[in-house]
Amino acid sequence: MPQLGSFAVLFALALSVYALFAGALALLRPDAAGERLGETARRAGVAIFFAVALAALCLVTAAFQNDFSLAYIYHHSNRDLPAPYKFAALWSGQEGSLLFWSLLLAAYGLVLRLRHNVDRRLFAYASVIIAAVQVFFLLLVNFAANPFAMMQGTLPADGAGLNPLLQYPEMVIHPPMLYLGYVGFTVPFAFALGALMMRYPGEKWIHVTRRWTMVTWGFLTCGIFLGAHWAYSVLGWGGYWAWDPVENASLMPWLTGTAFLHSVMMQEKRGMLKIWNMWLIFATFLLCIFGTFLTRSGLVSSVHAFAQSSIGNWFVAMLALTFAVCVAAFVKNRSHLQSENRLESLISRESSFLFNNLLFVVACFTVLWGTLFPVLSEWVQGHKVTVGPPFFNRVNIPVALLLLLLTAVGPLLAWRKTSFESLKRNFSIPALAAIAVAILLIAFGMRPWAEQSAFYSLMTICLSVMVTVTVFSEFVRGGRVIAGKTGKGLLAAMGRLAHNNTRRYGGYVVHFGVALVMIGLAGSAFNQDKEKEMGYGGKMEIGAYTLTCRSYTQDDKPNYRSEWAILDVTKNGKPLTTLYPERRFYKASQQMSTMPALRSTIQEDLYVVYEGVNEDNGRPIIRVHLNPLVMWIWIGWLTMVGGTALCMVPNAARVPLGAPAPARATVAAEAGD
Amino acid sequence: MIIFAACAMFTLAALVYIFWVPVQLEASEEKTRLAYLRERKDVVYENLRDLNFEYKAGKFPETDYQEMKTALETEAAGILAEIADLEEQEDTFHSAPAPRRRGSANS
Repeated sequence: MPQLGSFAVLFALALSVYALFAGALALLRPDAAGERLGETARRAGVAIFFAVALAALCLVTAAFQNDFSLAYIYHHSNRDLPAPYKFAALWSGQEGSLLFWSLLLAAYGLVLRLRHNVDRRLFAYASVIIAAVQVFFLLLVNFAANPFAMMQGTLPADGAGLNPLLQYPEMVIHPPMLYLGYVGFTVPFAFALGALMMRYPGEKWIHVTRRWTMVTWGFLTCGIFLGAHWAYSVLGWGGYWAWDPVENASLMPWLTGTAFLHSVMMQEKRGMLKIWNMWLIFATFLLCIFGTFLTRSGLVSSVHAFAQSSIGNWFVAMLALTFAVCVAAFVKNRSHLQSENRLESLISRESSFLFNNLLFVVACFTVLWGTLFPVLSEWVQGHKVTVGPPFFNRVNIPVALLLLLLTAVGPLLAWRKTSFESLKRNFSIPALAAIAVAILLIAFGMRPWAEQSAFYSLMTICLSVMVTVTVFSEFVRGGRVIAGKTGKGLLAAMGRLAHNNTRRYGGYVVHFGVALVMIGLAGSAFNQDKEKEMGYGGKMEIGAYTLTCRSYTQDDKPNYRSEWAILDVTKNGKPLTTLYPERRFYKASQQMSTMPALRSTIQEDLYVVYEGVNEDNGRPIIRVHLNPLVMWIWIGWLTMVGGTALCMVPNAARVPLGAPAPARATVAAEAGD
Repeated sequence: MIIFAACAMFTLAALVYIFWVPVQLEASEEKTRLAYLRERKDVVYENLRDLNFEYKAGKFPETDYQEMKTALETEAAGILAEIADLEEQEDTFHSAPAPRRRGSANS
């Protein structure tokens, strides 16, 4: 297997090099020979997938066969590792994850190259650019981080085991989701750069990549939220987001990618922001590569980062080269990116997209600055200065609130300009709903003037309510029109409405999901936690809950030994449940890990961690967190996924239009007026 | 030996697939300005439909609606006029005895 795997990655590299150079040469020769050469390059691109898939299959097979002659398998698996984690070994270490990157890119490339008939020339450009990225990753896999490198000396009887933190069900799906997001942005990037290089007339490349971008964005969103849920469920510190560099690495392309998804609508609808959009997608791709670099170079320390290695230099070279190509293509073809229209008013849909974009970019820059600050400070001052959550929160919370306001306002604004009458007509109900909720929250005891966190929390909840009312009013208004025409009930009409324009109404569902997530985040202003040594019969109170220690016990499994506390929980004096916070000792890796116990409701999470024993007196330590509204985050995330899926559904067929007529009078009739 | 044979088979299959290209290939053509304008026309019509729908849903007062509609119709009329012009040129071109040429995006 190792030999076959080594052959497959080397052969895949050869195919990628051919797809790149033959494809590029074919683009320069617009004759029959060029067409044939381009076709061979496309087919080589298709074959890359099968070669990389064979290599990945060899690595997974080696993990299942406990082939510890492979250094990668030795370092990331062991005989007693459960089967799903053996499969996940493919992306658990640096070498395997780079192979996995290549595999996903090859899979995206396969789909793209099989669909080349949509626009052969545009797809040929995109295919060459994807082949170039593929060459980089396969060079890494072959020469800098080879997953098929052999162990030296005597073969070990068992492997060193997988990092205990990664032995959790979500870790089987979190990395693939994140990688599908990272890698997927290569496709819109390739189309954008290709369209710029060939001076592609019109915005069809955006139409072609719309679904790719949405799918990619959806995967990245899933990856980020799965990572947050994993951190919450496994790391045992009671939170889900810590502004860790690796978390930030995934957030940055998400921020620019989200900005791109919005602003690209301005280009499609009004032919505006062409330069901005081009650079947004360039930046998003560069941030994806930068994120991959951050996790592998050891540039910044993180609980998620892989070991320090020398491949950081490869990534720096790749980033520099990609940036240079983007700048060169832009300088050469910038006249092609002239805007067809101008911003007519500050109160318009266009300006809301523009502000939305600026805010996303500010948030991204803040995250980038905070993430790189330790490195920059070391260069300037000679010692590392790390910035923590207060820095990120100080900038990003106000930015998030403004974005939430735009999420509520934007859909209600008209293209070009919005009159005062229109503003009054559309904003009265959402604004009144937000004010009513603010009054209710203050009446129920929220004191926004007492603390900044309470003020932010109140604002977040009010603006989220405003977003929700906006979304529902859009559905209800549209539904009424359909119901009036078809005689259907309002709910059925709203379903029909969503099917008629899945992109718009799927987007609204995503907005609703964002509002739910923001309400969940607002709950963190009221988190409580307590820590106590608890012997048998010991009690601890937090909020309305009382925890009583019934006993401690332990177990020995093939992969790990564990000990856990048995805690009876009552709420307001009534028995509620029993929780079992656990600590595990993984035999192969000789590492400890915590498994918090969780009771999650729509109102709050009771989160219990068994921290081990006090070394001075041998008494067990229990830490409890009471985290309000956390479940809203996960519900909001699933809603966002649902909305993204709705955007993927093709629109219901429209009545076909008549033949075009050159007279202005016919325009309205033809457009279905 | 088996590994060597597997590698050889895989390589052979890939090479045959890549280089056994049909003699006749569909030519990839440059996108013409006419094709671009037809796409643009569809987009403007789509904008008009959205505007009508939003107006019927009660989002805009009559004056705003008329103003936006006029702007979109003017844009659509300009596009339709250019399409008609280019189609006329194309027809003349085809009926002429000279050999056919590929259109240009910037024509």
